[in-house]
Amino acid sequence: MAGKIVFEGRKGIHLLFLVCVCVMWCFSQVKGAIDEDVAEADIISTVEFNYSGELLATGDKGGRVVIFQHEQESKNRPHLRGEYNVYSTFQSHEPEFDYLKSLEIEEKINKIRWLPQQNAAHFLLSTNDKTIKLWKISERDKRAEGYNLKDEDGRLRDPFRITSLRVPVLMPMDLMVEASPRRIFANAHTYHINSISVNSDHETYLSADDLRINLWHLEITDRSFNIVDIKPANMEELTEVITAAECHPHQCNVFVYSSSKGTIRLCDMRAAALCDRHSKFFEEPEDPSSRSFFSEIISSISDVKFSHSGRYMMTRDYLSVKVWDLNMENRPVETYQVHEYLRSKLCSLYENDCIFDKFECCWNGSDSAIMTGSYNNFFRMFDRNTRRDITLEASRESSKPRATLKPRKVSTGGKRKKDEISVDSLDFNKKILHTAWHPKENVIAVAATNNLYIFQDKIN
Amino acid sequence: MILKGQKRKLPSEDVEVPDQSSPLWESQRQFVFSVSLNKYQRSQELPEPSLRRSVLIANTLRQISLEACRSPPLDQQASEPSCSSTLSPQNNAANRSCCSGEPSVPMTEDEDWGLMATDSDFSLSAAISSILTALDSTVDGSPQAAPRTPLRSLENLSGPSEGGVAMEAGRTSYMDDVTMEDLFQDIDSSQLEKDMGVLGLRSGAGGCSAGNDVIRYLPPLTPPSSHPFSFSAEPLQHCSCTAAAVPQVLVFLTRCYPGTFEPRG
Repeated sequence: MAGKIVFEGRKGIHLLFLVCVCVMWCFSQVKGAIDEDVAEADIISTVEFNYSGELLATGDKGGRVVIFQHEQESKNRPHLRGEYNVYSTFQSHEPEFDYLKSLEIEEKINKIRWLPQQNAAHFLLSTNDKTIKLWKISERDKRAEGYNLKDEDGRLRDPFRITSLRVPVLMPMDLMVEASPRRIFANAHTYHINSISVNSDHETYLSADDLRINLWHLEITDRSFNIVDIKPANMEELTEVITAAECHPHQCNVFVYSSSKGTIRLCDMRAAALCDRHSKFFEEPEDPSSRSFFSEIISSISDVKFSHSGRYMMTRDYLSVKVWDLNMENRPVETYQVHEYLRSKLCSLYENDCIFDKFECCWNGSDSAIMTGSYNNFFRMFDRNTRRDITLEASRESSKPRATLKPRKVSTGGKRKKDEISVDSLDFNKKILHTAWHPKENVIAVAATNNLYIFQDKIN
Repeated sequence: MILKGQKRKLPSEDVEVPDQSSPLWESQRQFVFSVSLNKYQRSQELPEPSLRRSVLIANTLRQISLEACRSPPLDQQASEPSCSSTLSPQNNAANRSCCSGEPSVPMTEDEDWGLMATDSDFSLSAAISSILTALDSTVDGSPQAAPRTPLRSLENLSGPSEGGVAMEAGRTSYMDDVTMEDLFQDIDSSQLEKDMGVLGLRSGAGGCSAGNDVIRYLPPLTPPSSHPFSFSAEPLQHCSCTAAAVPQVLVFLTRCYPGTFEPRG
C-alpha cells in the first residue's frame, strides 16, 4: 500500500506521502502529570512491552514500576484499539546506602525485561545500578469465604463456637493485582549495571555493568558466573567500558556487548567459560574526514538490540543508528542519521553534557522499521525497505485523541521554511531516550521525561 | 540553542577545522582541553562518578595532549615540551623523544597557554593515572599497591596562576628527600574531619576502610582559603614545616617522573 494519498484540506489539495510501513501515526494516550515542574523521581527511565504486547512496563528514577494493560477493543467502537490502563504499580527498588564505600545507591530503574509468560502470572526483571529483582505480578479475583477457624474479618473464631465443619467456597471479588519480589540478585556487580537480558532458554539471563558481564540462573540468587571481564589489572590502562549487552533471541549460547569505543563483540558461551575473547568483532573504520576531538565520544554505543529474526543487530551511537548483519563484521549494512545537524554543535553539546546522553533504539515486530529518540521531544523512525524516514514529536499540543501526528523537520540551512524548527531552537532538555514498539502491532510507547506517550496507526 | 551550563563563545564553532597547524584548531583544542579538565575534576568531586563518562573524558584529554605533541609549536618559545607520556610504557620513550626540552619562557600573557599546557600536559598522564586508579579504589574497594591521590589541586594549574609556575621551579631539592610516609606524619585530624565531610566520606562509617580511603583522597591541607582544594604559593616558603602544607600532586609527580624537575639555576 505504498504510495500517495490525495486529500482536500483547507488550503486546497495536499499530497501526503505515506512513510514508514505505510503508517500514519496518531496520538492515542499520554500518561503522567502535566505540570511544568517535573519531579526527578517521576522521570521515566525505561519502557518495555512484554512478549504479547498486552502489558507495557515503565520504570522511573524513583524506583517505581508502573505496568499498563491493554484493554480489549470495545465492540461499540471497533475502529479504535483498546487503551492501555494502569494494571499494577509497585516500588521495585529503594535507595540504599553502601556503608563500606560511603556511597548512596540510586533507586532508579535502569532496565526492565519481561520473562516469557508460562502460566497465569507475569514475571519481569527490574534492575537498578546494583541489584536485579525478579517480580511476579499475579491477579487475584477470587477469595475463599467460609473458613472454619476465622471469620470474614480474619479474626480467629472462638473455638467453642465452632460446632460444625464446612468447606470454604471461592467467591468472586474485585480484581486485585499483586506484585511480589520472588528473587533478589544482589552483590554481584561492583560497577553500575547498564543492561539485563533474558536468554532464549528462559532459564538464564545476563547482567552487564561497566566492566563485567554475569550470567545468572533465574532460580539461583547466591551465585552468578562471570563471563566477561574487561577490567585491566592496572586501572590506569582502562580506556574502554561496556555500554550494553544482549542475548541472542534464538541461540542461547550467543550474546553481544557494545563498548564506549564503538565496537561490538559477539561471544559464544560454548567456546569458553570466560568470554573475554570474542567470536566476532564488529567495528566500522573511522571516516578520517569527519574526525574531531569528539569522534570517540560520539562513537560510543548507547544501545544494542538484536532483530527479532536474530539475523541482524542494531546499534545506537550519538548521531546515528546502524544495522549490522551478524555475518559481516567490518561494516554495518545500513546506517541511518538521526540528527546529523548536531555534528557541528558537538562542542556545545560536550560542554552541556548532552553528548553523553544514552539513546535507546528498537525494532518493530517484523524488523522492517526501527525507531529511536532525539531532542526537543522528537523521535525518528526509519523504514528499512523504502529507506524513508520520519520525525515525529511527542508533545501535549498534538495530543488530541486520534489526531494524526504531523511530520517535523529541522532546518539545517540558512533558510527556514514554515513549520520547520531551527537547530538553535531545539530544547535539549527534552530528550527522548526510551522508546518501545509493540511486538505485533503498530503501537509505540515513547517516554518524554515524565510522560509516557502511546501512539498507534490509524485504522480505517 | 537552549543549553545547560555556561555559554561560551567559540570562534567559528560550526566550521570543521581539520588543519592542525591553524590557530583556530589550536584555540579549539585549548577550549576542549580546559572544558574536559573542568568536567573531570567536577565529576571527581561526586561521590560516585560515572565510569563511562570519566573514561570518555580521560580519553579525550589524552587525545588532545597527544595531538598537541604532534602539532607544530605556535611559536619557538611556547613549544610544548615533555608532553605527557601515554599510559602504556612502550609509548613513553617515543613521546618524550618527539618533544623538545623544557622551555624557558617569560610569563607573558600570550605564552601563558604554552606554559600552562606544559604544566597541564606534564601532569596530565599523572592525572589520568591517578584518576583511574582512584576510581578503581573507590569502586572496587580493593587496596592498590601504590596508593595515589586524585589530583584535585590540578585545577589550579589550568589557569595562569603565579602559584603554579613559581612552585614548579622551587620544588626540587625538598621533594627529593620527602617520602609519602613523611608527608602524612603531621596530619591535622580536625582538618581531616572537615575535608572528609567535603569529600562525602563519613569518618564514622566503615571503620578502617574509611581510613584507607582518607589516605587516598586526602586533599592538600592548606590553610583555609576560598576554595577547599586550592593551594597558594604561601606554603612553599614554609616547606620545611608541616607535611600538611605540601600539595600531594607534586609528591606524586616526583615519584612518577623522577628527575623531571630541573634544579633551579
